[in-house]
Amino acid sequence: MFKQFTENINGNQAYLLFSLGIFFVFFIVVSIMLIRIRKSHIEHMSDLPLEDSTINSTKSLEP
Amino acid sequence: MQPEKFYYDNKIVRNFGIATVIWGIIGMTVGLIIAIQLYHPAANMGNQYTTYGRIRPLHTNAVIFAFVGNAIFMGVYYSLQRLLKARMFSDALSYIHFWGWQFIIVSAVITLPLGLTTSHEYAELEWPIDIAITLIWVVFGINMFGTIFKRRERHLYVAIWFYIATFVTIAVLHIVNSLELPVSAFKSYMVYAGVQDALVQWWYGHNAVAFFLTTPYLGMMYYFLPKMANRPIYSYKLSILHFWALIFIYIWAGPHHLLYTTLPGWAQSLGVAFSIMLIAPSWGGMINGLLTLRGAWDKVRDDVTLKFMVVGLTAYGMATFEGPMLSLKFVNGFAHFSDWIIAHVHVGALGWNGFLTFAILYWLIPRIYKTELFSKKLASFHFWIGTLGILFYAIPMYWAGFTQSLMLKEFTPEGILKYPNFLETTLQILPMHMMRSAGGAMYLFGVIVMAYNLTRTALQGKLLANEAAQAMPLEPVHTIVREGAWHRRLERKPIKMLIAALLVILVGTFVELMPTLTISSNIPTIASVKPYTPLELEGRDLYIREGCSNCHSQTVRPFRSETERYGEYSKAGEFVYDHPFLWGSKRTGPDLAREGQKYGNAWHYNHLMDPRLMSPGSIMPNYDWLITQNLDTSLTKKKINAMRTLGVPYALGYENKAGQDLDKQAQGIADNLAKDHIKVKSNKEVIAIIAYLQRLGTDIKANKTASK
Ligand code: HEM
Ligand code: HEM
Repeated sequence: MFKQFTENINGNQAYLLFSLGIFFVFFIVVSIMLIRIRKSHIEHMSDLPLEDSTINSTKSLEP
Repeated sequence: MQPEKFYYDNKIVRNFGIATVIWGIIGMTVGLIIAIQLYHPAANMGNQYTTYGRIRPLHTNAVIFAFVGNAIFMGVYYSLQRLLKARMFSDALSYIHFWGWQFIIVSAVITLPLGLTTSHEYAELEWPIDIAITLIWVVFGINMFGTIFKRRERHLYVAIWFYIATFVTIAVLHIVNSLELPVSAFKSYMVYAGVQDALVQWWYGHNAVAFFLTTPYLGMMYYFLPKMANRPIYSYKLSILHFWALIFIYIWAGPHHLLYTTLPGWAQSLGVAFSIMLIAPSWGGMINGLLTLRGAWDKVRDDVTLKFMVVGLTAYGMATFEGPMLSLKFVNGFAHFSDWIIAHVHVGALGWNGFLTFAILYWLIPRIYKTELFSKKLASFHFWIGTLGILFYAIPMYWAGFTQSLMLKEFTPEGILKYPNFLETTLQILPMHMMRSAGGAMYLFGVIVMAYNLTRTALQGKLLANEAAQAMPLEPVHTIVREGAWHRRLERKPIKMLIAALLVILVGTFVELMPTLTISSNIPTIASVKPYTPLELEGRDLYIREGCSNCHSQTVRPFRSETERYGEYSKAGEFVYDHPFLWGSKRTGPDLAREGQKYGNAWHYNHLMDPRLMSPGSIMPNYDWLITQNLDTSLTKKKINAMRTLGVPYALGYENKAGQDLDKQAQGIADNLAKDHIKVKSNKEVIAIIAYLQRLGTDIKANKTASK
């Protein structure tokens, strides 16, 4: 599966490695951000869609 | 602080909803017509405005920009207001956005059948409409960011990041892929040529899929699925990772549309590598959606909206598993140009985009009309016929794709092509095409039933145009403590979010596009390749007008099955004067890259008049109007000048001689046809298109004998 990459690079291997490298760094940065998020904040964020502050909320329509 | 009272604008949501349904029916009806044309050429209706080549783009534009586009705006306008606890920034902008978008669609419906097209897939609309799209997109952006600025919720929920990424990326894609030099009010030439044009187009084309058919729908999934299931998303952290990884990786994957073409090898490899990586964030998103329903499967059983969501997510999972597989070179060598790709497209389009749209409509319309859905039975019927429709669409297309590709690649033990005549393979798959149109008809019928159901729902309720809501205003920023992790801060800063998303997509764009666009050694030139003569250039523009590239590719890949069938494989240097490139993405008919001098002029004349005269059973439409219509040469001078501006080496002042050259060459072809007892004036369109066809691929063929 990987042979086809290495065989087709035509001397521009640096490009591929460079690109994968940036992705790797990027991925690490995002992961660090994720680890640093507090649980309470995550809960607040995931509840956002469920509370839309309507008066006479459409909730009454739900079964 | 006092809570503030305000109103959500439901009317604009309703308007986009109606537009979604109407354009959906129109776009899919056109889809059904072209599906039928593929086995019953008479369904072209004998006039130029409804031939396949002109209305296939109408189908794609109508379903993508009108059906999916309006659905996106419906979903965004509904969810954005509620997630931000604020009414849309400006009712006037909402209004301009809505009507502006409909106006753009109507202009597409008019210009595409007229043959006014750039020929870039999913970007066919000519330059004035491109400008209108840009303006309306900016209106949408101002309206969205205006709302974000007056929000009453400090943090932006993940759905909104997807909307922001959609907004910036589509803006960048649209502008870069619309760089055209206008020749007249509705004719322009792409700034790039050949390989470069192809790279830009598929960087665009792939990301139109990514940032129009995918990211806004993921955003809607993250909002509406929790709403429908009445429980939060399975993992918010996963959604963050999903978001950043997806937008980072997607932008690189474009070259998987150009495998085995003359695109530099490293660019192809880059596209393949990132396409394979795409499976991770895509499946992360799908799993996050499906796991939200964990422990709630009993709800799925009796709630039709959730059923649509589940099948939609599953289809997304299938398309995003298949996509990376299709990017593997050896799979792509087989699948590219075939009906396999059409199956892949429609699993995504019908399953993911279609079903999510239906789920949202069924959920949202009763809510804004303050009533219950008119008929659950009909909705359930829609679900089943829609699902069957997808199966009847996709399975025959896979079958057809495999069958045809196998036949095209088959050699006899003596080492010659088993099916040297392309048409034989076409005839073999006609039954599958008939089945596909049955699948399409079922799917379309479901949509019509939905339209009826929703109309009755609306009639029995009353639109709550302005829905009252109440929330605390935001405290001024300086009073909040500067705590929180980086990402939490980013969630408070919409402009930083926009810039971050922009930077992320620009990284891939630059690394991938710049070398091919700027370093000339990436495109080796060939001395014998010369610019088109004026007549050929006009013929080429007719080829574009008629949309021939919707069925015929112009690129021979380096496989023995192709070089045997078509001739020498294509070289990058052959396309340096092709503004735009015309490689095509689907071989409904044979490749034409080496068509020049393969047959005589008389053959082409008869074939264009009625393809079945030369190829019995052919499904190509008649082009008899080319024979009766006069070639319009009023723009020839301007075209030569425009091409020179773009770097095609026509000598200075050649534009003044061009008319003479054109007449001379046309007369030559007319005389040659006369020898075969075909009487045709030299000023007819057919002469120009024959001139172009006879030129194709001959520049480097000159010193070789045609292989067929
Ligand atoms: C009733 C439903 C539909 C039918 C019968 C239908 C039929 C077709 C046909 C016959 C083609 C041309 C295939 C070829 O070149 O051989 C096509 C292409 C296409 N359709 Fe549809 N379609 C339907 C719905 C949709 C929807 C809802 C979408 C998008 C949301 C969509 C997106 C596309 C795209 C993107 C292409 C171009 C594919 C490519 O170039 O590879 N279609 N469709
Ligand atoms: C991980 C995600 C995906 C990857 C890596 C991927 C990859 C691919 C590949 C390799 C092709 C074939 C190009 C060719 O040989 O002509 C293709 C075509 C296409 N895909 Fe996907 N795909 C993905 C997801 C999707 C989804 C979710 C949709 C629709 C909602 C979609 C819509 C299309 C369309 C419209 C085309 C046809 C383009 C054309 O030739 O006109 N793809 N995709």
